[in-house]
Amino acid sequence: MEYAIEAIELRKLYGDVIALDRVTFHIKKGEIFGLLGPNGAGKTTTIKIFTGLTKPTSGQAIVAGFDVVKNAREVKKRVGWIASEVIVDDELTGWENLEIQAKLTGVKNWKERAQDLLKYFNLWEAANRPVGKYSTGMRKRLEVAMALLHSPEVLFMDEPTIGLDVGARVGLWEVVERINKDFGVTVLLTTHYMEEAERLCHRIAIINKGRIIAIGTPDELKTKYGTDIIELEVKDKVDTSVLSKFGEVILEDGKVIIKTKNAEEIIPEVVKAIGSVKSVKLKKTSLDTVFMNLTGASIEGEQVNIQRLYRRIRLARR
Amino acid sequence: MIREIYVLYKREFLKLIRSKYMWFMMIAQPLMWILFFGNSLAGMPSSFLNQYFGVSNYLTYMLPGMISILMMTMGVFASMSLVFDKRVGYLKRILTTPTPKSAIGLAKALGAVTRGILTMSILLFLGIVLGVQFTVNLIALLEWFVSLVAVGIGFSLIFMALTANTADVQAPGAVMNLITMPLMFTSTALFPKQFFPSWLQIISEANPLTYLTEIGRSALVYGTIPSLSHLIAVLTFTAVSMVLGTIVIEKTLTAE
Ligand SMILES: Nc1ncnc2c1ncn2[C@@H]1O[C@H](COP(=O)(O)OP(=O)(O)OP(=O)(O)O)[C@@H](O)[C@H]1O
Ligand SMILES: [Mg+2]
Repeated sequence: MEYAIEAIELRKLYGDVIALDRVTFHIKKGEIFGLLGPNGAGKTTTIKIFTGLTKPTSGQAIVAGFDVVKNAREVKKRVGWIASEVIVDDELTGWENLEIQAKLTGVKNWKERAQDLLKYFNLWEAANRPVGKYSTGMRKRLEVAMALLHSPEVLFMDEPTIGLDVGARVGLWEVVERINKDFGVTVLLTTHYMEEAERLCHRIAIINKGRIIAIGTPDELKTKYGTDIIELEVKDKVDTSVLSKFGEVILEDGKVIIKTKNAEEIIPEVVKAIGSVKSVKLKKTSLDTVFMNLTGASIEGEQVNIQRLYRRIRLARR
Repeated sequence: MIREIYVLYKREFLKLIRSKYMWFMMIAQPLMWILFFGNSLAGMPSSFLNQYFGVSNYLTYMLPGMISILMMTMGVFASMSLVFDKRVGYLKRILTTPTPKSAIGLAKALGAVTRGILTMSILLFLGIVLGVQFTVNLIALLEWFVSLVAVGIGFSLIFMALTANTADVQAPGAVMNLITMPLMFTSTALFPKQFFPSWLQIISEANPLTYLTEIGRSALVYGTIPSLSHLIAVLTFTAVSMVLGTIVIEKTLTAE
């Protein structure tokens, strides 16, 4: 039982919509695992299956050795869950919200734990105020405190830092790192922030349209799927055919963009080949580029579309 | 199970007493019933009232019936609250913990009963203020209280079971129309059954509201000890709806 979380050929259909298509991954005990993917990729659906909120259409989901369908209760005892939409009871106070969570998860010494957590998350002063009067970040922090109350073995966090300010975000990263290091808590998190994934995750899976398309450590993914981007400002028209041997070339008003693997080494040759270069910008590969290369999203393409769309709207208004 | 029901009930209770509108409804609804409906027959000759209802004041006759109907309709609030918890996602929060689904249903049922008992107390108080004379029997009163709680739980579970698998806010209203109207008019809550046509009499004898109302009238109007069969009928109804209700909720309650 070395794995804390296992997805085996998970499929989930909502009517005709294939939310998950044979998703398989294994997360080791003590690992922080990131699930990255565009909107609608199936990240939340995956978490819902593992927290017992919905059943898989087929395939198996296993947490701490227990099947989430056959042994739902054992699984639920061991997991904590943070929703991407913050879920707390607005009419109750922070303290009352924690009490409910504690009694439902069977925490014995809940008052001390609740007090510690509230203090840690800077909510102690607000403990007796109705949660409806909290700010977004305060609600999120309360939700995190609720998820940690019963010391779960496995934590599922769906976009945990959405809506948090910079300080609170870094604070939450530290919490995740600390509970992971000190207590060996396994974490599966989803995020749209690449720096968050890079900072926290030991391993990352990229999911698109219900399928896992890449899996590995951030460095592995960068070497395998990453590209450096060289952006050159040019004076004259450029003949792309002489550049295509360096990588994918995109021309954009007065700029040449080249996607390549080993930018530093080829820059001198590129500059020589173009001749009339005004400036050179180098963007080293990052998870952003990995993500965009794999999921087919492209910044350049979208810019053009937006320009066209915007122009059309303006024309229509006349 | 007890721990979960307790804390979820506490949640229902706190939300209930913190809502201004709930207090408003809890006072306004009985007031309007008493003022408008309870007095609708006030001009009737008392000889007729005596012959038809067995008492000279329709309000006296009707109060236990009104309270029966009230207890039944509280189930709608339980079902609405369940659907609402789905809409705001709170049910997901509960369902990611090891809490049994039936505990959620039972806690909501108790919350609805609490609301019913509070409203009923106000109704009785208003009745007394408006000069309703009660002939009280203590044993019957105790039986009545037990029956009210039992029927309240029973109906709440039925309503929730019927809306356990939907997040449509219209569902509780639809179920209410389906259930409360027929039960209200086929019981003795509003009118005595000796003047019912025989088919309606038969239906009314299968209607838990009839027994609940008769126990209430024994306690407050006739001042007699009701027949034990009434209590048995009420408790049987509750036992059956609790068993079926919790099974259906366990099987069909969806997180969203
Ligand atoms: N309850 C549902 N009924 C029908 N379709 C659903 C339901 N929940 C999700 N889906 C569909 O399943 C797919 C995956 O949704 P999911 O919420 O898992 O995406 P996600 O990766 O979490 O996206 P986001 O980044 O926007 O949160 C989407 O196409 C969505 O429309
Ligand atoms: Mg999502």
